[in-house]
Amino acid sequence: MKIQPLVVLLVFFVAAGAVAEASQLVIYSGRNERFVMPLIEAFQEETGIRVQLLSGDAAQYVHRLQAERNNPRADVFISNDGALLEVARSMDLLMANDSEALEAIPEQYRAPDGAWVGLAARTRVLMYNKDMTTEEEMPASVWDLADPQWHGQFLITRPGNASMVSHISALRVVHGDETTKNFLRGLMDNEPTIVRGHTDIRRAVGAGEYAFGLVNNYYYHLQLEEPRDNHVGAVYPDQGEGEMGAFVNVSGVGLVNGAPNAANALQFIDYLLQPEPMYLYSYNSRETPLVPDIEAVSDAKRIDEYRAAELPLGQLGPMYNTTLDLMEAAGFGE
Amino acid sequence: MSNSKHPVMGKVRQAWMRHWQGRPPSAGLLTAAFFGAAIMIIPVVYVVSLAAEAGPGAWSRLFTTRVPTLWWNTFALTISVTAASVTIGGLLAFLTLRTDLPGRGLFRWLLAVPLAVPPYIGALAYILVFGPRGLWFQWLGSAPVDIYGFVGAFWVLTLFTYPYTYLITSAALRRLNQNFEEAGLSCGVPYWKVLLTVTLKLLRPSLGAGAVLTALYVLSDFGAIAMLRYNTFTRAIYYQMTGRFDQSAAAVLSLLLMVVTVLVLTVERFTRAQQAFRQDSGTYRKPQLIKLGHLRWPSLVFLGLILFSAVLLPIAVLLYWTVLGWNQGTVDARFWQFAWNSFSSAAAAALLCVLLALPLTYLKSRYPSRSTAALLRIAYGGYALPGVIVALGIMIVYDRFLPVFYGSLSMLILALTVRFLPQSMQSQDAALELVSPRLDEAARSMGQTPLGVLYRVIFPAILPGAAAGGALAFVSALKELPAALLLRPAGFDTLSVRIWMESVEGFYAYAAPAALLLIAVSMLPLRLILNRY
Repeated sequence: MKIQPLVVLLVFFVAAGAVAEASQLVIYSGRNERFVMPLIEAFQEETGIRVQLLSGDAAQYVHRLQAERNNPRADVFISNDGALLEVARSMDLLMANDSEALEAIPEQYRAPDGAWVGLAARTRVLMYNKDMTTEEEMPASVWDLADPQWHGQFLITRPGNASMVSHISALRVVHGDETTKNFLRGLMDNEPTIVRGHTDIRRAVGAGEYAFGLVNNYYYHLQLEEPRDNHVGAVYPDQGEGEMGAFVNVSGVGLVNGAPNAANALQFIDYLLQPEPMYLYSYNSRETPLVPDIEAVSDAKRIDEYRAAELPLGQLGPMYNTTLDLMEAAGFGE
Repeated sequence: MSNSKHPVMGKVRQAWMRHWQGRPPSAGLLTAAFFGAAIMIIPVVYVVSLAAEAGPGAWSRLFTTRVPTLWWNTFALTISVTAASVTIGGLLAFLTLRTDLPGRGLFRWLLAVPLAVPPYIGALAYILVFGPRGLWFQWLGSAPVDIYGFVGAFWVLTLFTYPYTYLITSAALRRLNQNFEEAGLSCGVPYWKVLLTVTLKLLRPSLGAGAVLTALYVLSDFGAIAMLRYNTFTRAIYYQMTGRFDQSAAAVLSLLLMVVTVLVLTVERFTRAQQAFRQDSGTYRKPQLIKLGHLRWPSLVFLGLILFSAVLLPIAVLLYWTVLGWNQGTVDARFWQFAWNSFSSAAAAALLCVLLALPLTYLKSRYPSRSTAALLRIAYGGYALPGVIVALGIMIVYDRFLPVFYGSLSMLILALTVRFLPQSMQSQDAALELVSPRLDEAARSMGQTPLGVLYRVIFPAILPGAAAGGALAFVSALKELPAALLLRPAGFDTLSVRIWMESVEGFYAYAAPAALLLIAVSMLPLRLILNRY
């Protein structure tokens, strides 16, 4: 056997990969793949546009978009965190979108130039196991997580989780850096179990391994629908007079600057803003639609049923990196 | 240009000739070998440089908070897994080769099977059984142990790394000369004392080699550790890379992990130098088998436990979930697309490994010199590099020099090549030793260029060895997790990526078929590995 066949084979395999890469719409997504796939399948079926999806952490794709800025490969950036959408926009990684379809979403949930648009809300709640504790006994505030009374009894996600980072950014805005840092130190002293993601938390709380955990509200709804381990409740924290209210974040979608398939990307974003897909987008994850007309999951609290922290999400974007540094300095880092 | 006209050039030329003992390699060959070594070292260089560029703020923040815990966690796991794994591996080698254990012929190769199970798949299997809602819980109502954390990571990594020591020690035991032991016995020392003093000492180099391989593996593992919720450097590096859009913190942690790795390699070199001893093959005699007597049953139970835990249980559990998945239709067109992605990227990387290894190993066998040794050491150094660090290095290199190709499949293929080039070099090296240099001379005299000789004459002659090296690189590339997670392009999920993503979310009926397929393919070249030792 000679060497040439090997070279030919090598070229073949690389070419096979390149063919797989050629496509009509490329999406980088920081959202759980299970939540995104049904929408993408419906979109592919309706339009015939072939979608290539890359799923992982949203922050990781901000880095990737930045590295690829001179030769963008992605068309659409789906983020599970509003702050990161704003980060990407402020780094010129997203481009303006003047589609009228964006007007379906209230103004405070989208970028002024339309570069990104929120699609669904997620609220930070304390999810608990009803066999182990009751709503009355549960901590009523996120600040209680630093109270030694709850030592070792609860779970949180790893610090790099985008929902966690933006939540801490929100605490910084409301209470200042020093207070937040002290809170984080107290939180760490309580030795919470730190897990990969919210799915781990909802399963562990549902199974009664821990009394409660800090999650996005839809994980509570997802756990309620499980065939077993579903005896769970949720506390919307900080509802008292003068308290900050529960922190509400959005997940949404951005248009990548220099998207190679920009027309398809615009079509995809417009598609997401139609009633049926918007319902599907929220329903798949049990998030709350940002458009009040769209029906929410039946047992979800409507957004006007509880006090939400009043924060413009755009403000949290520039804080992303410094919040990670502050968390790390307080001992809550990867 | 003649020497008399350019005295300086003449000196350089003389030194160059002396360096190569009068026979310098051609420029083409040198360039090709240099290219191979450069691919291995450049990513490392840029990880180090990014770490150096990280401000003092990042360093002090990491050092005061994360680093002490990470040191401790990493050391505790590495040392305990290495100790347990070497003990188990050494004991198993001894039992199957030097005792009258029943069924030892069958056990000999069965015990190597865990080598085909990547530890993250082993971790998946153990979570499926002993996890909080695993099979054990479903049958008996409570989980027997907390699989998450140190205990789980220790158990799983030990089970799937003992074959390193087992295989190396087996090979040493086969060559061990009976005379040494008999010398001890003839002085009236009881057999167990001879075992401890003479035999164990003779086996020290191979146990040491097994320990180094195991330690390096534990230091580099990401999948099993992350799945079992333990926190070491690799896991921290991975989450720094995915949780931030600035990678200097990941680079700092990578640099620290590389320091630990170099430490392990230094200890290995040091102890190897101290323990060099030779056996006289002229008087070699086959050793007598030891009668186990009343130790026979405990030994069998021990062997059975290891085989059950490391082979039977994981494969049975994955089979169970695969059947469930099959009935749910999880093995669909999408699954085969993932399999194809895995195979094509691993095949491309393996071919690249074979082609790049060739000039390096050829240089080593035909043109020994100090620079050759240095090039080889650099190229072989890659085997100690964790996948997360290789991925980080490739990202930085592409970001700075090849931004147009950032995000293309070439990143993943190159990372796999860097990671597994040493494996293909080893096999080629051994094969090349058997080809006489006269073949080269004959080909040269027929007018072949040096590189032509290499690729047209030598390569066909060492094809079996090169193919074996390629096969090893192929299965390793197939199983690689962190590099694939970090570098794959959109729509190019591989089987390893799917196993990770599905098991994170608890969709085991999707993860198990992919895991089983990876194990099955990895079993194929097991013979090659067994033959090597």
